[in-house]
Amino acid sequence: MSDNTIEQLKNAMLALDMDAALKATNDVVKTQSKSAVKEAVDTVTQALQIVGKRFQDGDWYLAELVYGGEIAKEVMALLSPLMQAEASRSQGTVVIGTVAGDLHDLGKNIFINYARSSGFNVVDLGVDVPAAKFASAVREQKPLALGMSCLLTSTEKELGKVIEELSKQGLRDKVKVVIGGAALSERTARDVAADAFAPDAITGLDIIKKWSAS
Amino acid sequence: MDFKQRFLTSMNHEEPDRVPVMGLIAEPATSNYILGKPPADMASMVRNPETRAMVRDIINTSWTELVYGNFSDALEAAIKMGFDANWTIYTQMEAFVDPRVKDGLVCHDICGRVWKLTGTEDGNIVVNYIDGLCPTEEGWDAWDGRRKTLLDEFARNTAEHHKKLAAAYGDRIHPVGYTSMSIFESTWQCMGFVNFTRSLYQKPDFVKKVIDSQTDFYLKYLDAVMECGGEVVIGGDDLGQKTGPIMRPDIIEKLFGESYRRVSELVHKRNRKLLWHSCGNIYAFLDKFVEWGFDGVFTLEPTAGMELAKVREQVGHKLVLMGNLDVSYLLVRGNRVEVQEAVKQAIKAAAPGGGYILSPSHSHIAVDPTRLEWMIEAAHKYGKYPIHPFV
Repeated sequence: MSDNTIEQLKNAMLALDMDAALKATNDVVKTQSKSAVKEAVDTVTQALQIVGKRFQDGDWYLAELVYGGEIAKEVMALLSPLMQAEASRSQGTVVIGTVAGDLHDLGKNIFINYARSSGFNVVDLGVDVPAAKFASAVREQKPLALGMSCLLTSTEKELGKVIEELSKQGLRDKVKVVIGGAALSERTARDVAADAFAPDAITGLDIIKKWSAS
Repeated sequence: MDFKQRFLTSMNHEEPDRVPVMGLIAEPATSNYILGKPPADMASMVRNPETRAMVRDIINTSWTELVYGNFSDALEAAIKMGFDANWTIYTQMEAFVDPRVKDGLVCHDICGRVWKLTGTEDGNIVVNYIDGLCPTEEGWDAWDGRRKTLLDEFARNTAEHHKKLAAAYGDRIHPVGYTSMSIFESTWQCMGFVNFTRSLYQKPDFVKKVIDSQTDFYLKYLDAVMECGGEVVIGGDDLGQKTGPIMRPDIIEKLFGESYRRVSELVHKRNRKLLWHSCGNIYAFLDKFVEWGFDGVFTLEPTAGMELAKVREQVGHKLVLMGNLDVSYLLVRGNRVEVQEAVKQAIKAAAPGGGYILSPSHSHIAVDPTRLEWMIEAAHKYGKYPIHPFV
């Protein structure tokens, strides 16, 4: 494998060329070299940071963001079996789920693709998650952050229920809470006493990176 | 000037006697509250596993009557509140018991989408999109084949629904038909957004095939709605999300531009005007809306950064503007002064010269009828033409 392969991987990801990205990744995998795999993983992270920045700057849109995440997911699926040794270098654990009564998962899944590719251990609780399940996951996983997704106005009250449940179980001061979803705003975050509101998945990841760094 | 003249004068970018106020009432709980009706039993029945199958059967055998009853109540409620106009909607769904939904039913609509239907404790029926019925091309082909056999009946039911409502309520309010199942949304929602984006890059011909079919369907739907005789029809597609367009505007133009031009052409051929619904931050599409031939735009969602003054500055009077009253806080929990101030600001920003219809930016179950009442009251007080410069 040459530096050229890594360059090809990065270029393919930034051109949203799934086939070329998978071809370059397979070339990396064939080497069975841990350092090459590490370099490829770092490249995926860097490429997704650029994709995320393009989205935040308004140069790229949701469709590109989603497809970029899909390419990263497939690339990481090829690299993951060769990178167990790297697992201990996680940036931290994030528990995430969509609140009870809500079955939407697009924003949540975009976040998961980008967060995993950025080195976070993400525990995905899925959709329609009751407050007690969020609280149990926080108790068991001891995450640095809990993310709650909520697309519907009709399920907004669930956010408050989860935070109340965390308080009741003495867990609220042990985890930072970020909320996101179409129905929500900064005001909602204040109303339910969450620590932050993320208008999109990439901002959510930025918030959690800051918490991880501090 | 009556409600209809007021609405249509504003649609012509002329100043009526006062700013028209449009209701977006559609939810049974909102109508029930306004009309003093007890909550419908169906909401609790659908939550109860023992009665859920019975609700499924009622929906599947009496859908047309249920939707008519819902919008009949919505129009009665809007009349009682003092709105000049209210939207009317007809969709078609088939209900199923599905283990994915623990507290309700799953419904499949005529665009190939899967919805969750459940009931709230206060008697509301809530329906939300969850998934696509056609994640693969084979799935789409099978679905589209089946849909073709349903289209004529669907068009008849749609036309009948809107005609009946217009005949029953048209002398007291201006009902505006809304073709809510739209082209871009139906295209991605029938396969799910992730599958849609993957197909866009990997199977563009499949995406084109779906767009063509959803466009043909939409034109038939639109034509059926226009049979009710109203001068204005609402179309729409959510092209924005909270921070900007869902997709690059040039890709939307390439994929959907022709469809949208055909929509406008059909509406204008029938001598109607087209108000276009799009949620989210849509500044990047406003000039396109003009180019595609739309006559007006709403929802102008304030929590997505849409400001009436900026929109008016960008498009002038090339588009009628409607909406912009916040439904995340203002019309849910805002106080009277806040509602009054928001109405004044909206009128000041968009009403001079006509071409503004005041309305909530959207409808959902938490929108509070008391706040709607304050909104109408303020519109009547501050919306008289000529608009006072110190509003």
